[in-house]
Amino acid sequence: MSVLDRKLLRDLRRSRGLLTAITSIMAVGAACYVALGFAYRNLSSAKDRYYADCRMADFSIEVKKVPLAELAAIERLPGVVEVRPRIQFFATVDIERVAEPLNGIVLSLPDRREPTINDVLLSREGYFTDTRDNEVIVNEKFARHHGLAPGHWIHLILNNRRQELFIVGTAVSSEFTYLVGPGSIMPDPEHLGVFYLKHSYAEDVFDFDGACNQVLGRLAPNIRDRPEETMRRAELLLDSFGVLTTVPLDQQPSNRFLSNEISGLRAFGVIDPLIFLSVAALVLNVLMTRLAEQQRVIVGTLKALGYRDRQIFGHFLKFGLAVGVLSGITGGVLGYWISFAMNGLYRKFFEFPTLANRFYLDIFVEGLLVSLACSLIGSVHGARAVLRLEPAEAMRPKPPAQGGAIWIERFKRFWQSLSFAGRMTLRNLVRHRFRTAAGVFAAAMGAGMAVNALMLVEATSFLVDFQFYEVQRSDIDLTFKDERSAAALTEARQLPGVDRAEPVLNVGCTFVNGSHTYKSGITGMAADARLTVPRDLARRPLRIPDVGLVMSRKLAQILHLERGEFVEVRPTKGLREARRVPVAEITDSYVGLTVYADIDYLSRLVHEELAVSGVQLAIDPRRETVSSLNRELKRLPALQSVSSRADTVANVQETLIKNQRVFIGLLCLFAGVIFFGSVLNSSLVGLAEREREVSTLRVLGYSEWQVGNLFLRESLLVNTVGTLAGMPLGYLLNWGITVAYDTDLFRIPVVDPQQSCVATFVLGTVFALLAHAFVQRAIFRMDWLEAMKTRE
Amino acid sequence: MDSRQRRAGPPPLLHLDGVGKTYVMGEVAVEVLRNVSVEIETAEILAILGPSGSGKSTLLNLIGGLDKPTTGSVWYRDQDLSRLSSRELTFYRRDTVGFVFQFYNLVPNLTARENVLVSTEISRHPLDVDESLTLVGLTDRADHFPSQMSGGEQQRVAIARALAKNPELLLCDEPTGALDFETGKRVLRLLVEVRQKLSKTVLIITHNSAIAQVADRVIRLRSGEIVETTENAQPVAPEEIVW
Repeated sequence: MSVLDRKLLRDLRRSRGLLTAITSIMAVGAACYVALGFAYRNLSSAKDRYYADCRMADFSIEVKKVPLAELAAIERLPGVVEVRPRIQFFATVDIERVAEPLNGIVLSLPDRREPTINDVLLSREGYFTDTRDNEVIVNEKFARHHGLAPGHWIHLILNNRRQELFIVGTAVSSEFTYLVGPGSIMPDPEHLGVFYLKHSYAEDVFDFDGACNQVLGRLAPNIRDRPEETMRRAELLLDSFGVLTTVPLDQQPSNRFLSNEISGLRAFGVIDPLIFLSVAALVLNVLMTRLAEQQRVIVGTLKALGYRDRQIFGHFLKFGLAVGVLSGITGGVLGYWISFAMNGLYRKFFEFPTLANRFYLDIFVEGLLVSLACSLIGSVHGARAVLRLEPAEAMRPKPPAQGGAIWIERFKRFWQSLSFAGRMTLRNLVRHRFRTAAGVFAAAMGAGMAVNALMLVEATSFLVDFQFYEVQRSDIDLTFKDERSAAALTEARQLPGVDRAEPVLNVGCTFVNGSHTYKSGITGMAADARLTVPRDLARRPLRIPDVGLVMSRKLAQILHLERGEFVEVRPTKGLREARRVPVAEITDSYVGLTVYADIDYLSRLVHEELAVSGVQLAIDPRRETVSSLNRELKRLPALQSVSSRADTVANVQETLIKNQRVFIGLLCLFAGVIFFGSVLNSSLVGLAEREREVSTLRVLGYSEWQVGNLFLRESLLVNTVGTLAGMPLGYLLNWGITVAYDTDLFRIPVVDPQQSCVATFVLGTVFALLAHAFVQRAIFRMDWLEAMKTRE
Repeated sequence: MDSRQRRAGPPPLLHLDGVGKTYVMGEVAVEVLRNVSVEIETAEILAILGPSGSGKSTLLNLIGGLDKPTTGSVWYRDQDLSRLSSRELTFYRRDTVGFVFQFYNLVPNLTARENVLVSTEISRHPLDVDESLTLVGLTDRADHFPSQMSGGEQQRVAIARALAKNPELLLCDEPTGALDFETGKRVLRLLVEVRQKLSKTVLIITHNSAIAQVADRVIRLRSGEIVETTENAQPVAPEEIVW
């Protein structure tokens, strides 16, 4: 090892405080790069493998009922490689240990194992046998949740009859990687399961002999990206059988949630590291410039001894690169560790056959290279300062720092109102413009991250509050298998513990406005409904008009509609006659694309007598009434699904909010690392630079605390200015995220940033104070008598 | 015709011809050296004496290849230093000159031996590191850091560092300036020995006229000009001088 390298090692050891500050920021950047990169690779490769293994469908078309013979025409369409008929129904599930009825998606699978579209991958035990007809394969997560295993019996209400089914195996399938019920955004494996029946048994039990109600298909690779024309022609072929929905793969809910997450990882895998690494490069620059200053005599001496510029430049550059290597490796390891946590989280939300967290050497090395590049950028400026030093000049004491008035002093009244310490603070900040700017930039980035993260937390609780307490106020929603007459409402009112029951009529339809069309539905409600209250942005309740629709803002945007304009509605039921109806109100909702109408008006629209497809209930929350209600509900054959607000909210709390808190906490900690690192670095550099000044103040009788106070003022001023500057940035970032996630599935509201800003300010100040504690310790430990003696 | 061509016989080791140096600081031009001409022979001890601000250090920097003159030229043998590129000057410093500074300029986080290594690692014909340390009498302090050594010891390390490169020319800028009387004399003794044992040319810059007594020749500078050159027929032994 050359002697300069030995010097380098000792320099590094001596500057470990400062290095910790910079390394931690840079390491967090590298960690984000590696963690998000690993998570991206884990998810996307698991998705590709899973989709291929399950022969994931490229489209699905739901119809009321179609004879299997009709499918041949679809199979002959250009670009269609393969189709499969499937029977699909919703059912309620009765598990004895569980008080309330649970929901199930019931699907048919070929009787014998054969390669099939949307196949299952068996987790435990096997496929159907010839022993019995009533065999079932249950999705693994639901089974685990309820302790169900092959060999157990389970009861489902299929086609109004309670059926006993024998579990032969458990399985997963790629179409339910993210398993959500209709209209929901959160998987709830406890209350929603998937049940696969033999196709022959399903035909039997649902009276679907030789027919199906869902067509799954796979497309040739060359038209997979543009399936519209094929879809249109398939729909046309099936039109007479009552097409309910057509879902290409890119619209399939599970696939959308998964793909959104994957593309989010890709975007944040660039943005987050960029923030940290740019701050780290700036902070490193401050340190390197200082190092070059501090070692100017050594540089001069080395030059006098005959060292070449290149050698000295290389020596200083190595200092920066060492930071890069250290950060890259630490960050890589930290990132790998975080990717385990992320993977664990993904396992909660997504159901994969295996979702292993692998080690990707290429991403790890990329993380290291990115850190190295960042450290190089951060060091070059400082190391170049070394080159500019002429040897003779370098060995002369540095001329006194630029004196003279600063521009702020022109504001005489303001300047004179400042204390001596205040003036000193301002002069120092203005004279070390670059360092001040770096500090402001760092604090702004930290604040931006924190504001954005905190706003997301607030947005989530706002969303839950808005959706589940203000818009949807019912305790229990019942959906019937088929539409029922008004008598169903009376029956519901007589259920035990029901305080109030309101009818709901869901009508699937296609909205058309010129060239803009969208398949969705209308929810009909009673004029005096109190259990669903559509609202606008200001949370004001909107009255359901006698005539016309209350349309969600997102759908109005998609259809290019304004309040008061007319839209064509083509119902998928009744006489299926297209009608032009006015958009009476625009409502704000964050989940799905709801359209409300008066239930009588809606019935007239489809030319039917008043019918109900579901009932919303407000119930007496006492335990004994709830359990007798649950007992009754389990017995109701006409139910397609039951959803309880308490369960939904608990599920959102348990999964989304809890996990979000952990990750947002981590993000805030990372933002704190920026505040901490930047303040520590710039104060310690300032302290080293002003040793003489500090010594003089001590000689004059200043206490350690008074000296510390001067530094603290500077830090807090820079930090505060930066934090304030970063707040709009955070707001903007948050707005960007809400735009990116603004889909028909769900939207994230942009909340009032006030609370997040206050919290960020506190966060920034706390971390700045923490960093100052280290600076104060350095002031206490400083040998100022020695500093007075040394030559500058 | 320049003065070099007027001489007969081999050229001197160093030859300064009408050297001037002006520093421009902002709007002010400061003339630090004015028309300095001097010749320096091999194995000579030359003292450059003058009060602070007289231009001594500037002169040393020009001779050491750390700086270039504004007017005139500095010749090392038949090489005009003022015409060398910065790269060539680096090689000149590396191979020909050894510097000893008033404040030693040791690298604080390297030991005595390592500080000497800094010099030998880039030299073409270095002396043995231990030999250099023996020469300055610091064998037993080789593994100490500068902060663990006295000023005299540090200056001896600096001299060992300068000598270890085996240079022809030793340039000492106030080598005793930061030392006490006794230690200063010991350092001077060392410099005299260097000339005697190794036949090096030694240039000592000082403001202390007593120290100049050890030199073979003394040049007095004032306000950037040579005001007097004296030959010491009988240089005084370092032990005998008093200040």
